[in-house]
Amino acid sequence: MTAHEAANARRIGVYVCHCGGNISDYVDVDKVIADIEDAGDVVVAKTAMFACSDATQQDMVADITAQQLDGLVVASCSPKLHTYTFRGVAARAGLNPYEYTQVNIREQCSWVHTDDQQGATDKATALVRAGISRTRLTTPLEPMVVETLPRTLVIGGGIAGLRAAIGLADIGLGVTLVERELELGGWVRRFGPMYPHGKDGRALIETLVAEVRRRPAITVLTGAEVVGKAGSFGNYRVTVRVGGEGAGTIEVAAGSIVAATGFDAYQPETGEFGYGIEGVVTLPEFKALVDEATAPLTHRGRPVRSVAYVYCVGSRNTGGCANAYCSRFCCAATVQTAVQVSGLDPSIRQFHLYRDMRTYGKFEPLYTEARKAGSVFVKFDNDAPPAVARRDGGGLTVTVRDLLTHNEELALPADLVVLVTGMVPRDNEALVGVLKLPAGSDGFFNEIHPKLRPVETVVDGVLIAGACQGPKTSAESVASGLAAVTQSAAILKKGFTELDPLVATADQGACTACGDCLTACPYDAISMTETGDRHFAVISPTGCKGCGGCVPMCPENAIDLLGYTDAQVTAMIESLVEVPA
Amino acid sequence: MEAVTTPLAAPSPVPLDLGLYRELQRYGARDVSACFSCGTCTASCPLSQTDATFPRRIIRYAQLGMKDAVLSSKELWACYQCGTCAETCPTRADPSEFMAATRRYAIASYDRTRIARTMYTQPVLATVLAVVVALLFAAFMYAAHGPQSGETLAVFEFIPGHLIHDMGIAVMAIVVLAGLAGIATMARRIGRREDVGWGDVLGSRAALARSARAAWSAVGRESLGQAQFRAECDTGQEATPWYRRRGLVHALTVWGFLGLLAATVLDYGLDILGIKATGTPVPVWYPVRLLGTLAGIALVYGTSVLAIDRYRAANRAVTRSTTADWMLLGLLWVTGVTGFVLELALYLPGAPAWGYWMFLLHVAVAMELVLLAPFMKLAHAVYRPVALFYVALAKEAKP
Repeated sequence: MTAHEAANARRIGVYVCHCGGNISDYVDVDKVIADIEDAGDVVVAKTAMFACSDATQQDMVADITAQQLDGLVVASCSPKLHTYTFRGVAARAGLNPYEYTQVNIREQCSWVHTDDQQGATDKATALVRAGISRTRLTTPLEPMVVETLPRTLVIGGGIAGLRAAIGLADIGLGVTLVERELELGGWVRRFGPMYPHGKDGRALIETLVAEVRRRPAITVLTGAEVVGKAGSFGNYRVTVRVGGEGAGTIEVAAGSIVAATGFDAYQPETGEFGYGIEGVVTLPEFKALVDEATAPLTHRGRPVRSVAYVYCVGSRNTGGCANAYCSRFCCAATVQTAVQVSGLDPSIRQFHLYRDMRTYGKFEPLYTEARKAGSVFVKFDNDAPPAVARRDGGGLTVTVRDLLTHNEELALPADLVVLVTGMVPRDNEALVGVLKLPAGSDGFFNEIHPKLRPVETVVDGVLIAGACQGPKTSAESVASGLAAVTQSAAILKKGFTELDPLVATADQGACTACGDCLTACPYDAISMTETGDRHFAVISPTGCKGCGGCVPMCPENAIDLLGYTDAQVTAMIESLVEVPA
Repeated sequence: MEAVTTPLAAPSPVPLDLGLYRELQRYGARDVSACFSCGTCTASCPLSQTDATFPRRIIRYAQLGMKDAVLSSKELWACYQCGTCAETCPTRADPSEFMAATRRYAIASYDRTRIARTMYTQPVLATVLAVVVALLFAAFMYAAHGPQSGETLAVFEFIPGHLIHDMGIAVMAIVVLAGLAGIATMARRIGRREDVGWGDVLGSRAALARSARAAWSAVGRESLGQAQFRAECDTGQEATPWYRRRGLVHALTVWGFLGLLAATVLDYGLDILGIKATGTPVPVWYPVRLLGTLAGIALVYGTSVLAIDRYRAANRAVTRSTTADWMLLGLLWVTGVTGFVLELALYLPGAPAWGYWMFLLHVAVAMELVLLAPFMKLAHAVYRPVALFYVALAKEAKP
């Protein structure tokens, strides 16, 4: 049959998968085939032991070619798993990939209705019918090809951002590095010796900044903030405010954006482990003190002869309140600082009050080093946290129950109490609003997949790196910065990118320019435009993510989502409610 | 040491002494900061049968600065330093040597004169002191010397017997006073921590019976009998012949020392009773002389083997030695050997003149040994039984 012989008829192939029993143990796949093979336009209807297997894929290609199929329905597992697999099958057979529909009869039928095989089978049949109905109305779609700018905007000039900028420049991409502070370097610039090898933080940053300066491909904007973003993946136009509040803005064009905005140190509440009492300091404060110190160590003019560290302050909270996570860097950082203190003056007594020591991986020898240098470690139970109080006649007393000494309550005299504070997400509300960065419940930015897509976000072309993703050591931050380099190169070096064509389109004629859709779009992809005296909405195909949020908002039904048109969805619903014969 | 876990009833936080650790190091404590309380020492200790914290807990006390806990610890003295834990310790912190150093610290702390502290923490000064004290004794006695008879070795004519007796009694009085003061301090501390008062020791017939049993265990079984030292704490010496084993050699030294002390006292007793005047020549089989000879053999054998083993670092108990260790061994050995040479001179014809000088040396060193006893390693001979009394008492069920 050829197209002109039956203009409205479709030739659809339907494949129902056993999934090796995962489906067929509860869904009668043969009955599903029997029930749908008489549906209109179905030319091929088959079961397969594993639809995703190479052999079945080859059968499908052969069927599509031999039977000149123009629609494909595979009823198997979740579209998350195999949408791209079967789009590929269609493409290899010369069929437009968007003429294919995935029907999920595993997660939605066999796995959830193990107690009702008849019901599961009926539901599967209905879902397959709906899939056929959708496929009847498919049209060939082509991916949008967008040229990309070979330039990346890096937000944050800390160690991750600096290293990423260098990497991007070396791989042949232009870089604009935006730093909110007046000086590059972030947290690491403030540090002296850092673990594991005692390398000086300031020196590391100086090296990186010198490398940045040597690369003409990198433009550095300090005292600058990202305040707006337009355009879409491959062609972002980012507004950067330079020169502080009220000063001018410039527009930076970039193909991708790397957010490496870092972290804030947890700031204890007044009274939390005695914070606020003279002599109770946070780890960053203490680190600064030690970095600047020469023997003898003093704090505000008073000699420091003993130090008590209280670990996990602001981290690993239980009971549903904030910061349930482990801040990861602090155990090693504290132990390293303690070794530094011992180097300054070995006679200073140091007590580490900890819940669990997590000097993980290669940092474990630091813990041993600290112990050998005389640091004493006191493990306390989370239910009995230490208490810090001012002692009569100067100094502080920390009371703690030592689990290793039969839970005896000890009164530790200390000149300084160091609260080992962890990392908290930076207050980046404005930037989150501009970039649409997804943040988790902990406030750190979320990647798509922690293992497989560790620096990509759901916003195409917007990548995250460093401690803005969650607590990281500087080494880990640099590693993720370089991962963002690779990912930027992967999407920008081709010079173009293909975008999914499943986007919303607005019918200019039907649009009354009410503006409801503008507020519905989370990606700022819709704008009002005018021709003559007519105003109407235009949806940027590259900005649209195909979420469909605008479709129901339109009072005129002027918006349709390609691949999921109103007609298609209506047809699917009708099939689902249709009582089987 | 079975089931002697101390119930801790500390109502208020224990104040820590941040200087304790450094102070212990002055007594020869090795760096135990490597200790992370894993408890391997406890697992390997032949004495730690049910108490899950010995000896680990003592090290923890020291690391943290729990001075009172260290000085009121009866368990500190239960250890005979077999060295098993030093071998098994995964961090090479040497708990065994640490316990020994802590005992030195305890001896010095119980002594209010601070002489013991000087003896332990200033080895050069201690050595000079030892030599000077011996010289002073010798000079004092020599100042009152009489003629050296050439016919028989009349040592008590050379150095007047009454002078030696009076000196001995004076030295004994000093030692007993110093010793009792130390014991009282120790007992008060341990008693407070263990919650054992006079009433618990002497308050009732049952308490008295318990105390008697505990005293028998501490003094009879362990101190005179050296039972645990010879049995449980003899581990790791399977390849050593029985006559060279640490437990037996130490026991021979103890028995030799006590035998000589007994012989000396008996000889004095015979004099008082008018049976035999001191210095009267007797045959070698004369009971008191025989006791002295046999005890002397035991002492010289014991101290010689201990010294050789210590010099060679022959076993894991003596991998490290301090001046204090050598001083005690040295004084005991010199006392024993000079005694023998003197005995030889007594039975040689013609009363050799060197016999008189040997006598002077023997008495001077023996006097010194007794005089310095409360301030040196020998003090363990009284402190250990006191601590073991409390250990045994804890095993007795409380009323």
